[in-house]
Amino acid sequence: MAGCRLIYSIMCVLVLVAMLASPCGAGADLAEVPDTLWPALRGTAEGRATCQWPASMSPPNVREWHFQSKSRRRYRPGLAVWASPAIALVGGRPMAFLGGYDQALHALDLVDKERKWFKITNGAIGAAPAVGQVNGRTVVFWGSADRTVYAHFALNGTRLWTRELVKPTNTMGEAEVSSPLLHDSKLYITCFVYDRALARNDQKGWLFALDMASGRVVWQLEATQGPLSSPVGREMDGRFVVFVAARRGLLQAFDVSGEQPTRLWSYQMPHEVLGSPAVEEGTERPLLFLGSKFGNLVALDARTGEERWKRMAGNWIDNSACIGMLEGERVVFVGSHDYNVYAFRAADGALLWRRHLGGEVYSAPAFFFKGEPMLAVAALDNRVYVLNAKSGKVVTSYYTGRPIWDKVAKGETLWGSPAILAAGEQTAIVHGSFNDWVYVLPVTGECTLRAQVQSAAGLWYGLGIVLVLFLGIVMPILLILSRRNTDPAPTA
Amino acid sequence: MSDGGLVAEIEHFLEQASGNIKLVDKALSGLEGSYVELLTLLALGLLAVIPVIVPERRRQFYRHLNQVFGIFIFVFVVFTCLGVFGMIRNLHRGLNEIGRENIIALYYCSVPVTILVTSMLFGPAFCGWICPTGALQEFVGMIVGRWHRARKKAGYPFSWRLLGLVLLITAVFLGWMAYISARRVFFIEDASIYWSEVLVILLFVLVWQMHKWDSRLRRLRVLSFVIIVAGSVAALRITSPVHFGFSKVYDPASLLATVMVILAALAVPHVWCRYLCPWREALAWAGKHSMRRLETDTTRCIRCGRCDEVCGVDAISHGYIDRRECHMCLKCVDNCPAHAIEVKDTWQAVD
Repeated sequence: MAGCRLIYSIMCVLVLVAMLASPCGAGADLAEVPDTLWPALRGTAEGRATCQWPASMSPPNVREWHFQSKSRRRYRPGLAVWASPAIALVGGRPMAFLGGYDQALHALDLVDKERKWFKITNGAIGAAPAVGQVNGRTVVFWGSADRTVYAHFALNGTRLWTRELVKPTNTMGEAEVSSPLLHDSKLYITCFVYDRALARNDQKGWLFALDMASGRVVWQLEATQGPLSSPVGREMDGRFVVFVAARRGLLQAFDVSGEQPTRLWSYQMPHEVLGSPAVEEGTERPLLFLGSKFGNLVALDARTGEERWKRMAGNWIDNSACIGMLEGERVVFVGSHDYNVYAFRAADGALLWRRHLGGEVYSAPAFFFKGEPMLAVAALDNRVYVLNAKSGKVVTSYYTGRPIWDKVAKGETLWGSPAILAAGEQTAIVHGSFNDWVYVLPVTGECTLRAQVQSAAGLWYGLGIVLVLFLGIVMPILLILSRRNTDPAPTA
Repeated sequence: MSDGGLVAEIEHFLEQASGNIKLVDKALSGLEGSYVELLTLLALGLLAVIPVIVPERRRQFYRHLNQVFGIFIFVFVVFTCLGVFGMIRNLHRGLNEIGRENIIALYYCSVPVTILVTSMLFGPAFCGWICPTGALQEFVGMIVGRWHRARKKAGYPFSWRLLGLVLLITAVFLGWMAYISARRVFFIEDASIYWSEVLVILLFVLVWQMHKWDSRLRRLRVLSFVIIVAGSVAALRITSPVHFGFSKVYDPASLLATVMVILAALAVPHVWCRYLCPWREALAWAGKHSMRRLETDTTRCIRCGRCDEVCGVDAISHGYIDRRECHMCLKCVDNCPAHAIEVKDTWQAVD
């Protein structure tokens, strides 16, 4: 009997030790997770907007979280509320960084469900931040409408540097500063400022290259008149090429490998452009995709700027496309204001599917894997949808609230698009909604905001309920009430 | 990855057609949407004046021309304005904007207010002369006009032929529903399919009891109106049956509802206008208080019943006119052998 007790006690101790030593111990595990970065507007040039948790590590518990900044007084009506988030693993923890028209950048810990730090700027933050590394330390970079680029350490928000891009004048308006693009110790960012004073009449759109470590301006280039999209870049033929689209539709490619940028090619889109290009990665002859407010999706040869194919949606495509891999071939996904999400084969533009959603699709799609390839998009019916990227079927959806403003300036500004923390069963969507809240939404498991998109069964139940209501309640009431007087009053 | 098959081909064709249906879209897209309501208003104004100025001779021909022109203008030229649900929703939204954004208020209120005001001034001629939904029903009803008139004359008796037609319509509804419910996600805005369902149920009721319950069932329009108003207040967007025609987006639920309205009009003339149209309820009120109305000179009336026969909405009975139901199509005026029914303009009468 005593021997049994001893064996039992030893087993208990071993189990306890095993539990403490196992990867499930979150504290031990998280510390070992390497930092991941978010070097561009939507994470990569392909615009997948997904931060991948290392497959070898067990994922942390990411639960539903609703975050609201309290500085609502800083909002201006009619403008975007939250920009798109950047998600990165910092110090072993998945963190989302996003700013908005509350003029602050917020660093949100997705595991502890708390804001780790925030930094107030002097202008609205209209584009996603980027996350890179300087001397081995992870740094968040973002631009603000105060014409300034900020660099703060991601872990605690300590300032690394700030850089004012354009000197102010007393007649200057607010700047439109894009998302940064990080590559090889340089930060590329666009800035548009306007000065409507007759004497100055300055409406330049600048492309800047800054040193990531110091914020020093390496070079600056007047790319065009008018606002510019966020830069997207990739290496081609041993040089780094940055693609920038002007609001007026001029798409340009710059070789930025040398000391000064060189324009490689330009392409005039058929209409205005709000979004940024998406460029294929991992191919020798990459294609570039860009949508226009006229509803065109154009595929260009990223090396030469030659048009490969062009497709037309029923309404505006005002946000970026995203490129995913389906069964070994690249597919470009794009949302349109005609309520549809489109999937085109990247090589030839063949329409693979289109999915009609309940509202105009204003966001850029985010592409991720959770067993199956998935897409997350946000639509103007105030929902975020998760679609099966192969078939376009709606997997689930979330109600993310109505705009806090009566009306939103559609087509004038880009609202935030969802971004993904892909962590197996703990995969979650991070979305700054135009109702002033930031949502962290688990893709599987319980979520209070999971919207009941009417299923086929629900539809038939609905028809049954209407049948019962109509025959059981409406008709009898109608007949009882009508017995008093059924004939119309004559007017002879 | 896209499904094949004839039905899918048809659906693909419809999607393509929806995307290209607006003929002047590209030409005017530079104006950034503001032209939509202005064009609608302009077209409405022109179409609303025609009933007043058109010569009496061949008036019905001009009316049908007006209706065809209305369909052309509203389906091929302008966007979401004339849906019978959308007008109520837009009016509510526009009223909310007054004092805050007056331009937006004008944008949303312009079309419904124009229709209401012209209905009060000139009678509810919108229903009889302009409304595309009403026009579609009327044109479809012409195919079986003789049968409808015979049934009406006989007092809407039970008819096996009608029952067969209603069963066929029901089969189309259920089959179509099964198809699109397997392929598409539904939302609250697709609720027009519930109106279609009620329409189908109503048809069964009407097969047996049309003569007895016709006037009672017309009160369903009030319920329909209340639901749409409540939906507007709750910011629910429910699209009208003909909504797909006014937008550039393929909308299967709206298309199904439109087809059901058209098929149901084969069984019962103007069935949508009579029993379910919420906007018709608003215009019924406007028509009742209109300055321009139809009146019967009882001394001249010979009780021949010709006016009953030609009225598509049973708004007249031996010369007695129900102003709430009258669409101002003026068929009774044009067909009266004794010229006993005439358009009375009360403004002129006061003068």
